[in-house]
Amino acid sequence: MSDMRPPIIELDHVTVTLQDLLVLEDVTLQVTPGDFLAIIGPNGAGKTTLLKVILGLLRPASGTVRVFGRAPWKLNGERQRIGYVPQVFSVDLSFPVRASEVILMGRYGRMGLFRTPSPADRAAVHRAMERVGITELADRPIARLSGGQRQRVFLARALANEPELLLLDEPTTGVDMTSTEGLYELLRTLHESGMTILIVSHDVGVVASYVDGVACVNRRLVAHGRPTEVLGSQELAQMYGCDAMFFHHGRAPHMVVATER
Amino acid sequence: MTEVLGFAFMQRALVAGTIVGAVCAIVGVYVVLKGLSFIGAGIAHASFGGVALGFVLGIDPALTAVGFCLATAWAIGLVARRTQVKEDTAVGIFFASTMALGILLIGLMQGYNVDLFGYLFGSILAVTMQDLWITLSLGAGVLMVVVLFFKELLFVTFDAETAQAVGVPATRVYFLLISLIALTVVLSIKVVGIVLVSALLVTPAAAAYQLTEDFRRMMALAVVIGVGSTVGGLLLSYQLNTASGATIVLLATLVFFAAAAISPRRWRRKAGRALH
Repeated sequence: MSDMRPPIIELDHVTVTLQDLLVLEDVTLQVTPGDFLAIIGPNGAGKTTLLKVILGLLRPASGTVRVFGRAPWKLNGERQRIGYVPQVFSVDLSFPVRASEVILMGRYGRMGLFRTPSPADRAAVHRAMERVGITELADRPIARLSGGQRQRVFLARALANEPELLLLDEPTTGVDMTSTEGLYELLRTLHESGMTILIVSHDVGVVASYVDGVACVNRRLVAHGRPTEVLGSQELAQMYGCDAMFFHHGRAPHMVVATER
Repeated sequence: MTEVLGFAFMQRALVAGTIVGAVCAIVGVYVVLKGLSFIGAGIAHASFGGVALGFVLGIDPALTAVGFCLATAWAIGLVARRTQVKEDTAVGIFFASTMALGILLIGLMQGYNVDLFGYLFGSILAVTMQDLWITLSLGAGVLMVVVLFFKELLFVTFDAETAQAVGVPATRVYFLLISLIALTVVLSIKVVGIVLVSALLVTPAAAAYQLTEDFRRMMALAVVIGVGSTVGGLLLSYQLNTASGATIVLLATLVFFAAAAISPRRWRRKAGRALH
């Protein structure tokens, strides 16, 4: 992970408060190009907040954040280098909109005001659908998609922006096991093609076998390193029991160890 | 029935009803999908303060209502976004206080005989040429903004957070949307009245929502239902000699129940439950 290239994301002693509540405290974290990092931690640990800070949707109370070398709320053109897959339940799933329209939204920032989609935008939407394997779902209203299909639509929307950096927030919520593994395989392919990926997750057991870095967050950055180091460490088990999460998710820790490449 | 269409007042009423039905339905689609119906109702009641101000100052109440409703909409938006007061609480505060201000202002003008009932419950048959021009120009303005910002309004209504993440100015689009609600309320006052306008802002779009899962189709259906309700309600009220605003709203409500009864969404949900 040590790389001479400048980091894509730099958080330096970042503290975030939401309505007087300390959500993130003194988090220092760097993500370099080509990383595939999982942010894990229990519910309410500030994982989503961390993503929102990186996206510039929230500002820290103290500390500095740099994304592509700039404060994230000042990003302009750099926004087109970022793809974001929000938590699926953050949107109204009965909204009357078709899959291809949702995916096209990923291009809206790039298109700019008063513009209608160009052939290039349409082509990018089609490519994104091909990449995640949902071309046949283009005209399907999102209310009529399964959890796994819907997640692929949201991923395709992020990919339609042709990003270098992909941020995903709990992409496997409401998705069955087969689709979950399919989704991770897809992310692995994207990572191998050079994309930097940051994924917030609580299914530690599965995610650990795909990523090459794990950051355990519980208000503070509890541990950060290779999956085997982080998930095997004693301090982690003591502080927040990432190992306790293994029990909840029914995966034996040896699965994690076995995946070291 | 047909001879009534020859009267100038009826022609003006029908034109006004058509514009109001269409514009309310289109803006209503965003109101229903983004869950802004309470804001809509709040802004509608705030227009009472604006109307009263117009009477006191001796200018067309529709013009003062425009400024007053826009100011109230922005105030609600600002309080909801910048303070820890929740949106519905902000609406609750402005809702009553702007109405109270209106009542106070009207009370100051003792002896002045104002047709308050017409503003509160609509007086579509008393639409003047000037009313019609105001409705027409405001309606054209609202529609133009919807066309120009169509994709931004859609994205922010569907998923404001991701919209902002890809570089769509979500907060500005939100304020644009509540401004559109304010203008739509003002252009509708004369037709259905302050008390009933929020129904026209919600019901046709809610009925259309029951019938389709396509955004543009929902908007088109909402327009058909909205215009059908205003024009149908108007003619019906003339025939039955009932209050026009109330007849329009009740007709739209009937359409909503009919749409809900045949809704494919509803049947699919039931089928889904049967499987489990």
